[in-house]
Amino acid sequence: MSKQKFEWIYCSVLLVTFLPVVFPVFELANHTTPLVLGLPFSFFWVLMWVIIAFITVICLYFVDPEKDNDEGAE
Amino acid sequence: MQDWFIALIMMMVYLVIALAIGMFAGRGRGGSLNEFVVAGGKLGMFVMLFLMGGAVLSAFSFLGAPGWAFTRGAPAYYIIIYIAFAILPWYLIGPKIGRIGRKYGLYTLVGFLQTRYKLKTLGVLVGIIALLGFIQYLATQMKGMAYIFNIMTDGRIPFWLGALLAYGIVVIYVATGGLRAAAWSDVFQGILMIVISWTIGLAVVFQLHGSPSSMFMNIHEMDPGFLQIGKEGSTMSSVGFTTTILVSLMGFLMWPHLFSKSYASRPKTIKKTVLAYPVFALFLIPLLLAGFAAVGVVEQGTVEADEILPYLITTVLELPGWLYGLVGAGALAAAMSSADAITHSASLEFTSGVVQNIKEDLSEKTVLIIMKVAVITIGGLAYFVTIFGGQGLIALLLGAYGSIVQFAPGVYGALYSKRISGVGVTIGLVAGTVINYYYQLAAPATPFDIHAGIMGLMVNILIVVVVSLIQKPKQEEVVEGYTKAS
Repeated sequence: MSKQKFEWIYCSVLLVTFLPVVFPVFELANHTTPLVLGLPFSFFWVLMWVIIAFITVICLYFVDPEKDNDEGAE
Repeated sequence: MQDWFIALIMMMVYLVIALAIGMFAGRGRGGSLNEFVVAGGKLGMFVMLFLMGGAVLSAFSFLGAPGWAFTRGAPAYYIIIYIAFAILPWYLIGPKIGRIGRKYGLYTLVGFLQTRYKLKTLGVLVGIIALLGFIQYLATQMKGMAYIFNIMTDGRIPFWLGALLAYGIVVIYVATGGLRAAAWSDVFQGILMIVISWTIGLAVVFQLHGSPSSMFMNIHEMDPGFLQIGKEGSTMSSVGFTTTILVSLMGFLMWPHLFSKSYASRPKTIKKTVLAYPVFALFLIPLLLAGFAAVGVVEQGTVEADEILPYLITTVLELPGWLYGLVGAGALAAAMSSADAITHSASLEFTSGVVQNIKEDLSEKTVLIIMKVAVITIGGLAYFVTIFGGQGLIALLLGAYGSIVQFAPGVYGALYSKRISGVGVTIGLVAGTVINYYYQLAAPATPFDIHAGIMGLMVNILIVVVVSLIQKPKQEEVVEGYTKAS
């Protein structure tokens, strides 16, 4: 994968996981019931997207073409 | 022994350990300028993670987040959202900034902008806004420290003394050990903070309500709008919520103390730090839960929002003194781990933005001395502002704090565009800052409840784009150098 393509995918992932936690998409989850894991649905929804975002970024790290390019190391 | 006395001893022990770690970490490193400003450019991932995390999780998270949950309800989620998402762009831009920094020998945000745009005015402007914003940030931390000392000892330690004790220690280890000292004390403070917040947060919920479910059902039945955003009974509109997140998100990496960490680590370290970061974002969950736990138990208006967590611990719940002490130490850790990174960075930005623009040919040794003096001066200044600051001064600082996000067009423009004009960036910054001041302090409300910073940013970006299109792009090596690093 080229560097440009990786950056493009990275930014898209950011956008796709971020949009659900702001309006207008957040309206889908803007209610208290049903409670999930003891939390209001909206709270759970926010945490879920945060976790999805980070899991995706961890996966992306492994396909990052620049991952082992560690200039500045001596 | 009385509770307040146990708490006081625990907090003092904490302060001594923090000082010892800070002093010890900075020892025997040769004391060069490079060591002081970026710790030789080679902080490892573990330390870097805590340095970033500690800087972000401040008195605002420890005392402010429960306050938001208690008084505002669901809009408090914004804190978790922005802290979690704001770090993600660093994965891409952090290594680029680091590369540019190594190429041109940079260690500040001012240096980054000035090298690319070649405008002294811009450097001085950024240096001044950053300095004022930093002092506001420090004042918040110091108020947190002072307040914690005061309430945990039943008023026996006055405000001026609490702030002086805790912040004095920060100034000492930053002035002697530089970035490395700040980083290692943040590791200690960060671990303490995470453990304490989870323990206390869950203890409060279970003691007061039995379980999170019954707590939230109670709130829901009492006031359904409180757990929603932009509905009847909600405390924030949907536009307000979204734009507040956006402005915090974009402003986050523009804070010079976070921005300049890109210079202090290698690309791989930066990337791994981003991956491990959720540990810190999730630290906010128990703090929000503790704030929600107070709803219906403590009447709104009886305590200030930011004081709800210590109020719960000391007044509502009957807890042993050592637990007071633990909360006190946690709050001090949160405030101090932000204060050290900010004090360090403020001295760097001020020296590079203002001092070195006025007098150019300073030797490395002189610069290092100026920076150390600046740590102490800025520390002292922030202390006096906190204890004696008047209304006008506070307004000035608040406005600067809100204006940090206006650096964003200049930073992203330098990284991704060859056309972007320095004149445009400078005028945009001024316009954005003025508009932010106006809406934040003078105007009664913004149109559609859009955040003042976003209003400023819209005008800022418009100006940058228009001026950059009109001006002929310059053919300079440095322009290439910046975008090539991308």
